[in-house]
Amino acid sequence: MTIDRSRFAQGLTYEAFKEQMTRNRDRFEENERRVAIGPADLAAFRELPRPVHVVALAEDWCGDVIANLPVLGQLAKESGKLDVRVFLRDQNDDLMQGYLNQGKFKSIPVFVFFDEAFKELGHWIERPASVTELRARRRAEIYAAHPEFGAPEAPIDQLPEDVRGRLQAEMQKMRDDTTAFANAEVVRELRELVTRVAA
Amino acid sequence: MAATPPKVKITYCAECGYEPQTLDLVKALMLEFGSRVSSVELIPWDGGTFDVSVDGTLVHSMTRDGGFPTADAIKKAIRERLGP
Repeated sequence: MTIDRSRFAQGLTYEAFKEQMTRNRDRFEENERRVAIGPADLAAFRELPRPVHVVALAEDWCGDVIANLPVLGQLAKESGKLDVRVFLRDQNDDLMQGYLNQGKFKSIPVFVFFDEAFKELGHWIERPASVTELRARRRAEIYAAHPEFGAPEAPIDQLPEDVRGRLQAEMQKMRDDTTAFANAEVVRELRELVTRVAA
Repeated sequence: MAATPPKVKITYCAECGYEPQTLDLVKALMLEFGSRVSSVELIPWDGGTFDVSVDGTLVHSMTRDGGFPTADAIKKAIRERLGP
């Protein structure tokens, strides 16, 4: 992947990305409102010696984008130190190929941080491992508490429609209940990455 | 052989944007079988799912088999249920 000033400028601003969304904008903006950045975290970004360019690979249908891009957006807005441009994954495969998850998956969002000369400082993919682990544990607890949901690995279409609906509601509640933790983890990981390399 | 027209269920990950693959498969099955299938049910789900079952038998699972199925593979499974 080659990112220089000219290519970077071709990306969408965060607001332009929102404007072109064809779905999930309500969920996206709800997640913006739920992002709470603590004073220490905010100070760490505000005290960066110089602005950092951030390439974000995203699509509006992706749940992890809807959850995590607003965290980056709020950090940029409140710190004034992150210059974000969003590139649509499916229209920028050359960029995506440079950041495949485990070398093979086109997981998004991807956030790539660059210094003023567009030297890459580091990148972040999809979601924190701690969030994946917590939600896997909560998911297992839900199945354990509800034998009617069957085995976690069983095909969903084998469940009666009403049971499937209850399972879906339980999973949504679990995701809602873990959102604050997930947002805090995204902030923590981005702070660690950016302050380590851009200080 | 199925005594009644088979039921097809497609469970797809809506969070992953698998709608185009789902609709392509549905279109292929509708054009191929018409009323010889009793229903094609679409189940939006998450977790990277793309499962297709015919009369309760899982004929493709992204987790188990990897990737998306070809329409031909699903058509073959339905034809086997329909019989000669």
